[in-house]
Amino acid sequence: MSANPPLRALVVDDEELARHLIREYLQGHADIEIVGECENGLDAVRQIVALAPDLVFLDIQMPRLTGLEVLELTGRRAGVIFTTAYDEHAIKAFELHAVDYLLKPFSKTRFDAALARARTLHVPAQGTPENSPQPALDALVARRTAPLERILIRDREQVHVIPVEQVECIEAQGDYLAIHVDGKCHLKPQRISEIEEQLDATRFLRVHRSFIISLAHLQAIERPGPDRHAARLRSGKRVPISRSGYEKLRTLV
Amino acid sequence: MHPILADARKLFWYVLAWLLAGVGIAALLRLTEQAEWTGALWFALPLCLVWAFVALSSYYVCRSLPWSQRRWPVALGLFGGASLLSALAWLGLGEAWDSLARLVLHDRPLVSMNSPGWVMYFAAGFLLYLLSLLAHDVLVAFESVQASARREAESRVLARDAELQMLRTQINPHFLFNSLNSISALTGFDPAAAREMTVDLAQFFRRTLALAERERITLGEEVVLCEHFLAIEKRRFGAKLNVELRIAADASGCLLPPMTLQPLLENAIKHGIRQLDGGGTIAVDALVRDGWLHVAVVNPVVRGEVPASGHGVGLKNIRERLAVLYGARARIAWQRSETQFAIEINLPVDKEAAA
Repeated sequence: MSANPPLRALVVDDEELARHLIREYLQGHADIEIVGECENGLDAVRQIVALAPDLVFLDIQMPRLTGLEVLELTGRRAGVIFTTAYDEHAIKAFELHAVDYLLKPFSKTRFDAALARARTLHVPAQGTPENSPQPALDALVARRTAPLERILIRDREQVHVIPVEQVECIEAQGDYLAIHVDGKCHLKPQRISEIEEQLDATRFLRVHRSFIISLAHLQAIERPGPDRHAARLRSGKRVPISRSGYEKLRTLV
Repeated sequence: MHPILADARKLFWYVLAWLLAGVGIAALLRLTEQAEWTGALWFALPLCLVWAFVALSSYYVCRSLPWSQRRWPVALGLFGGASLLSALAWLGLGEAWDSLARLVLHDRPLVSMNSPGWVMYFAAGFLLYLLSLLAHDVLVAFESVQASARREAESRVLARDAELQMLRTQINPHFLFNSLNSISALTGFDPAAAREMTVDLAQFFRRTLALAERERITLGEEVVLCEHFLAIEKRRFGAKLNVELRIAADASGCLLPPMTLQPLLENAIKHGIRQLDGGGTIAVDALVRDGWLHVAVVNPVVRGEVPASGHGVGLKNIRERLAVLYGARARIAWQRSETQFAIEINLPVDKEAAA
């Protein structure tokens, strides 16, 4: 046990006192070293990517990005201990997926128990990859109660927050989505069927196996050949429409 | 639509009542020996059947003159005039029916009425219409009592909703649990501050509970409550949160619904200050000008950030509460620019009578 290097921990909370409390609780644990603290979600994304900490104490309700959005962007799954004061939706989801979390204010005993559990799950010697799939957390991160309002894209340590109104169309490119916004194109590792489910079905339509268009950006439906259709968007961009996509579009427009 | 026409069962009983009146008229004709039973019934029943529907018009006559705006000479004139006119029409209808019957049946008329007979017939028409007017008057009065009871019940429900909404905002669990967490943290290194924060939290909840029961409180009382709230938030957010309270002396005594200013400050922190890395200053101004109380809250926001969904809900609640209490006399307006959010509430000045 003592041969192991200390666990490197990141503390994420926008309230200084809350971070202070975690620092204090961690003082008794010699095997844990705090490598950083973050005040907001964007900062947390940067630090998780840059520091690759073993353990993240993650507040849910934070400015800029919520704790769950931080996980979505970083792909981080292992070694996360959620902290929250009150978030009915998140707590329900935690219960549902058996994810450990700390309810503020929490006692030292409860904190130590969460830490002990995190330690047993962390087995660096066995070479478990950092981001090995964790179905419970994956489901939690993918789970959305309301339709998606903004799309988060991480480009190394930079995070783009794109309101869905600005999105013209989304194109599947291998394992990535190409998200077209204002003549620019952002890449995000996600499946098109997954984002299709998250988007508001009254504003976005899957017109093709690899294309989702925004109905607000749709300008015209063209017919380049017999039995072939294409959507012309406001920007002038053309997107192919499949036969079933055309049927769906006809019922909507 | 007429309430009797709208309900098949009511219509049935109504028509039946008129047919009984018809039998009555027939009996009168028989008794005065102006007709045989068969003829009298054949004469009176169809007339009453038609007249039943004509008499429904009295509903609109009654409605045109509601109880509250009624002066007796006008009411008497209207009712008498309407009855007289309809009795004339009734007379015409009766004569026409009689002539038609004579034309078809030749030598065997339904009735053979003399002049006093027609006068009696005319009087019956007059009385029937007047009776219908009076009955409808009672119906209309009854309807308006019911409607006002319904309105009252509706406004009570609205008021209770507003109260519940207020209780829910007061006991904001997120605020409560985060504050407790801060106190828990403070106990480790600054017990005196922890104690102060506990007192502020207790004061804040005690005051909101006490004030929530009252319909109006003075701005001064609301400000004291807000100061406890801000003391707690300053501990949570530290140097990020600055507040400039500028409450004019004459504004302090003005009355307003409890928890009007506090949610504005809570929003300013939640959607403004908290989202900014360096924090910022919330400016609160309250003053009286030309008989109006102006309360304005301005806070910085993150440049170009999409407002988080749900932002408008709290503001809409305040707007609805003010609308319930002040009607159109209260004004609440907000606008968001690139870097700041400003909200202003204008209420007619109303000071505590005893003050």
